[in-house]
Amino acid sequence: MTESLIWWSIAIYLLIAVGIAIMSRQGAAESMSGYFLGNRQMNGFVSALSYSATTYSAFMMVGLAGLTYAGGVGALGFEIIYFAGVSLVAIFGPKFWAVGKKFGYVTPSEMLGHRYNSKHVAMAVSLASCIFLIPYSAVQLAGVGYLLQGITDGAITFTTGVIMATVIAIFFSYIAGIRSVMWTDSLQAIMMIVASTLVAFLVIQGLGGFSALFDTLATEHPQSLTVPGSGLFSFVTFLGLTIPWFFFSLSNPQVSQRLFMPSSLRAMRQMLIGFLVFGFIYTMVSVLWGFSALAAFPSLARADLATPTLLASEFVPPVLGVIVMVGIMAAAVSTIDSIMLTLASMVSRDVYANVKPNVSEKRQLLVGKFVVPVIAILALGFAELQLDLIAVLSVAASSGLVAMVPAIIGAFYWKRGTGAGALVSVVGTSAFVLLMYATGNSLLGLPSGIWGIVVASVLFVGVSLMTKPHQAATDAFFDAISEELGKKRGHKVSPPAQESNV
Amino acid sequence: MKPEFGKRSKWIWLVWIVVLLSYVVPYTLLSNVAFWYGSFLFWAVAGLIVIALNVFITKDFEDHSND
Repeated sequence: MTESLIWWSIAIYLLIAVGIAIMSRQGAAESMSGYFLGNRQMNGFVSALSYSATTYSAFMMVGLAGLTYAGGVGALGFEIIYFAGVSLVAIFGPKFWAVGKKFGYVTPSEMLGHRYNSKHVAMAVSLASCIFLIPYSAVQLAGVGYLLQGITDGAITFTTGVIMATVIAIFFSYIAGIRSVMWTDSLQAIMMIVASTLVAFLVIQGLGGFSALFDTLATEHPQSLTVPGSGLFSFVTFLGLTIPWFFFSLSNPQVSQRLFMPSSLRAMRQMLIGFLVFGFIYTMVSVLWGFSALAAFPSLARADLATPTLLASEFVPPVLGVIVMVGIMAAAVSTIDSIMLTLASMVSRDVYANVKPNVSEKRQLLVGKFVVPVIAILALGFAELQLDLIAVLSVAASSGLVAMVPAIIGAFYWKRGTGAGALVSVVGTSAFVLLMYATGNSLLGLPSGIWGIVVASVLFVGVSLMTKPHQAATDAFFDAISEELGKKRGHKVSPPAQESNV
Repeated sequence: MKPEFGKRSKWIWLVWIVVLLSYVVPYTLLSNVAFWYGSFLFWAVAGLIVIALNVFITKDFEDHSND
């Protein structure tokens, strides 16, 4: 692929994406929920595509194919367990949605702060999310830089790629907040699913078809078809990888915030099922890419090269290769812009507004808009520095965010949970995970991916039992859920007699 | 009042059973089946079952279309 073909593809993509972003505007969003939640009026189809695009970062097409190349079918198992974990949305989604509607929450951290009647919980969850997700975004940006530099043989430099992705992400966020982000996400998701499925189809045809591919694997790389196989996916490693990802849909605020946005539960259902169908196809395609690369190019120097090598191979027409490459860049952008918006809403709503009480909604929105590029520039700076520490924090992201899981589950299912319990659990587990990664990520032979959920649960339950829950806040929260979800169509329930002052 | 909504949510346990089997079966029964119909097929089918279960569990979300 030539440099000009790549630049033209990027230009065409941007032209279409910017057009869609501008069309997504619906008047000026002047409230926090207008800008960050699309006024809680998002339809199911766009929500589904955007949820997919936000979840599946550039990691999927490069990382999962590489993981399959290196470790075999265990990569599929890892993704399927993550995927099954998204079923948590079927249980928690309506509850998030109900309390969001009732109390006007903008962020998941705001919800936890209100439920446990503790500003400190909201602030701790927000700050911990920043600590783990900004480096995660930085690694996404660096991925784009490496990809473009690698495929163009350095014609597009690492820095050009990184800056371009950052500017696009800021731009998409600014046009209409979450609305423009979700619509451009949808474009990216559709483009990617079509192009990547086509690539998988062409490559597998080129290798003689599905059964020829698997025959090659069975005779030449039999270990790639079993776990633990070559040993990369030992059972302990598999547990350490899958446990944090199983809780991804609850622990990562950029996706749990989405549970506040659908216009109805019906739209939420479409979001969930749409995501699952999309995710299943995307997972199978990525794994098949990895298997195809293993069958066709068994001696690559690094597993990360599986996807670039496949795209540059004779199996894939150059135009399709470029489309997928632009799609991978767009995938990184679609993940980063959602993270940026979510973190900005958390910083403004849960840190700024809590430190400086009685700030107006307008002022919060202004601060949020100011924070968006600050987060982007931090991520850009980290990506440019290419620090080892950043890579470590990024890998720690999934384990670290598990710190929020017991407090979230407790919010909906355990009236005895307290603010102190939630606070100690979030802060303590985040610190524990960081310490684990700083010291080689092994305690009694187990990684932090396994320890994280155990430590977070013990801290949450233990400290909660030693402290007293805030009764009024707890009752108001649980009443709101039964009130909203008990209501059937055309059958209104009168509001609860006492409105708790929390 | 006891909400009508969510009575299907108990079926989520079937999803958790699929998850449990996704840990156990490939690492035991299928650890020597180095063919496409081994762990590859098992996890692919597990994914499809998860989709089907979610379609079933969230069926009553449809009643909340006008909220």
